[in-house]
Amino acid sequence: MNNTFALRQTAFAAAALSSLISVVAVQPSAAADKAANKAAGTYVTGDFHNHTTCSDGSLSMKKLVDKAAKTFNLDWFVQADHGGSSARNCTLAEDPFEPVPAALGLTSSATGPYPPATYPSTGQPASTGKGPSQSWESTLPSGRAAIKGDGTATPKAMWRWQEIKEYQYPVLEAESRARQKPIWIGVEQNAPGHEHISTTVLKGQLPWPASGVAGNATLQSQYEYCFDRSDTDTSRGAENQYDCSVAATPGDARIDATARKIRGTNSVATPDLGHAKTLEGIKWMNEKAPTSSYFIPAHLERAGKYDPVANRGYNIEHLRDFNNTAPNVAFGFESMPGHQASATRGEYAPNFGGPGIDSVGVGTYGGTGIYAGKIGGVWDAMLGEGRNWWFFASSDYHNRGQFGPDQRESTQDFQPGEYQKDYVMVRKGSNNLSAEGIIDGLRSGNHFASSGDLVDRLAFVACASNPAIPRAAFKTLVEKAASNAVAKNAEVRINGCATMGEKLVVAPGADVVVAIAVRDPQGTNNSPYSFSNPSLKQIGMTQALNAPVLDHLDLIGGNVTGYVSPTDAARYAGLEGSAAASNASTALKKVFNSTNWTASADGVRVMSIRIPAVKASQYFRLRGTNLPASTPFETNADGNPLNDFDLIPFDITVPGKVVCSDAACPVHMRTINGVKYSSFDVAAWSDLWFYSNPVFIEVVNAVKVAGAK
Amino acid sequence: MKHFHIFLSLTVLSAMSVLTACGGSSGDISSSTATEKTDAFVSQYNSGLSAAGTGAGLTAAAVAESFDAAYLDAGFKKSDLLASLSANAQSINTNPDVSLFPTSNVSNGSVTNCDGNNICTFSGTLTNADADSTAVDFTTKVRVLNGSIYLYGDQSATTSI
Repeated sequence: MNNTFALRQTAFAAAALSSLISVVAVQPSAAADKAANKAAGTYVTGDFHNHTTCSDGSLSMKKLVDKAAKTFNLDWFVQADHGGSSARNCTLAEDPFEPVPAALGLTSSATGPYPPATYPSTGQPASTGKGPSQSWESTLPSGRAAIKGDGTATPKAMWRWQEIKEYQYPVLEAESRARQKPIWIGVEQNAPGHEHISTTVLKGQLPWPASGVAGNATLQSQYEYCFDRSDTDTSRGAENQYDCSVAATPGDARIDATARKIRGTNSVATPDLGHAKTLEGIKWMNEKAPTSSYFIPAHLERAGKYDPVANRGYNIEHLRDFNNTAPNVAFGFESMPGHQASATRGEYAPNFGGPGIDSVGVGTYGGTGIYAGKIGGVWDAMLGEGRNWWFFASSDYHNRGQFGPDQRESTQDFQPGEYQKDYVMVRKGSNNLSAEGIIDGLRSGNHFASSGDLVDRLAFVACASNPAIPRAAFKTLVEKAASNAVAKNAEVRINGCATMGEKLVVAPGADVVVAIAVRDPQGTNNSPYSFSNPSLKQIGMTQALNAPVLDHLDLIGGNVTGYVSPTDAARYAGLEGSAAASNASTALKKVFNSTNWTASADGVRVMSIRIPAVKASQYFRLRGTNLPASTPFETNADGNPLNDFDLIPFDITVPGKVVCSDAACPVHMRTINGVKYSSFDVAAWSDLWFYSNPVFIEVVNAVKVAGAK
Repeated sequence: MKHFHIFLSLTVLSAMSVLTACGGSSGDISSSTATEKTDAFVSQYNSGLSAAGTGAGLTAAAVAESFDAAYLDAGFKKSDLLASLSANAQSINTNPDVSLFPTSNVSNGSVTNCDGNNICTFSGTLTNADADSTAVDFTTKVRVLNGSIYLYGDQSATTSI
């Protein structure tokens, strides 16, 4: 563990940051919309962070979209390769597009031919002269001459701004319209001063349900040129003549006269410059597309703590900076990262950021980073300010490790929709299902994330208890409302109730009833394994790995004490575990399980709790898992997830912790002296979690919950 | 409930008449008179629920009139109820964001299983008709007093619900 509070460094960073953040843009306070003003909506599934051969992925754009939208049936999808440049032409589909048979579970082959066997982990080899690993230079009609901007290498790499605008976007728009699903393009930004950010600038793009005139991804292209750390092109986007100045920062002397962008990043000579540039990017988004952009840090614990002279991770002050700069654009984080089947889950590990630079928390915790996985940690500190700061998951698919893309096993990543999903409320009516509506949903906080299809529907609501209704009757009413909402894959729309991302404003001393209905889907998930879960087998439970059962659900709550000023360095800035990055009031409030929820045959579980006489502004959030408390190496006595890195040590020559003893345990498990240990995808399928976003309760004459509607 | 103490004898007499109509201490109210009493209770209660669903009506007399003076429901007394309504009314006056209480309407009311103390079981359907209609059947204790029916609560001092 590397959680030592580096006071000197943090104080330095805080001082630097306070000069960067001159204005804290607090969201206006407003209560949840009246029920009649909420258009009926539905939770839809999607993923916004996966890769193709346009950066470092192994599939073509078309094949990745096919996996997301067809194989795993996501309702919406955002293609988001890294910024920078790439020599490979990801718009070329695999040949053939689908190996024969077009299904999962094909035999592994490292040698081909392709077909009948599946492609290897890295996708269709360029040596075949076909498919998405061929270079732009060798496949474009004009060859090298068509590749714009700086560059001398052979084959010449294409800058992502050009790929996005001229090649990737048209493919995605066509895919979107043909499949009749919102599919658009974003960028996983290599953020100056930090690691990665999932971004979209939607304005100009016209995915389905748009038809007729074609859209464009010019603004997304410009954002990448202007603010991606790896885009060192100085051409201003060739004929586009991009200018990266931001109206909110007039006369910015840091902008290079030729490239018309800030060219530096964090370094010894320019500490914190990268972070400052990243903030300029958020301002730019807020100016160009304030309601159709998002900025969501990805796997944010992985690269370790922030370093003002390097490009690494994020401390809480950076998340606060992002949110302060444009709360309608920077409103959450991917604390449930992709790469869940990796040898070190999520790729979180010691020394990930370089010698001595461990991932924050070292490993993930039940597949979630410590920022959200630890009760009272960074996420709770943000929520304790009343910020709109939401939880997301992503698949971050690149490849399946030693397996081909059409196999079901993985030693690296899961494909979009295969293992993790974001469930987002999209209001229908005149807007119907659209990219704009989905981004509205992402921004609203009315969403939840789950791994392994542990749950697929959720209604989570806090209601002001009506004193004029007998208590048992009121409880039954709100539980029924939650149950009805889950049946419709919708939300509770009752005046006096608030759901995820909203706040309920009540008088001091009011009672609040929190009602929850959740569906544990029946049948099997996408796991290829039907043998008994090895983690549960430790405690004598027999449960097929592809048919997980929700064991319990935790209601977590904490107090809201108001925004922290950037000038209050001690409370604003600090490493994980510091006072600034903690909410000491947050605690596990209630555990729901088979003893106190009402279960129905379709997998729906309904439960509630009365919170009497609330005096303090506060919030509640949920998490759930298939693992009981005190499952060795998985959960502690309080049910908190344990460090996955301890379960699956980085050194594959040492034993794991959980034996995979079933005869069907696959051969790719970590095996020491003939003993197989739960690892890679089996470890991921064994340990499933879901997280809801919070419901806020604001008490009159107490602290205002400023960020949430 | 203002007549409870003053007109105790009359109350008992009226209650007895209702119980007679019920056919005994544990029988249903089945006569047209009893049905009228039940309907009157439901109507009055709905008036109170409607008022409680508005900012201005929270402290209206109609809200309280359906509750017995000895109302106790999961630790919640009539005085608590009135205090809660008053607190919400005051808060709404100073902060327009304060949430109104989820409101409901009662239908299909019936009163059964009256005991020797005139404590009966009220059964009905509670419906919230906001954007999505939600309806649940519920039961609660009522007291028949002075020919009228009042909510009595479960008489439990615990707050387990």
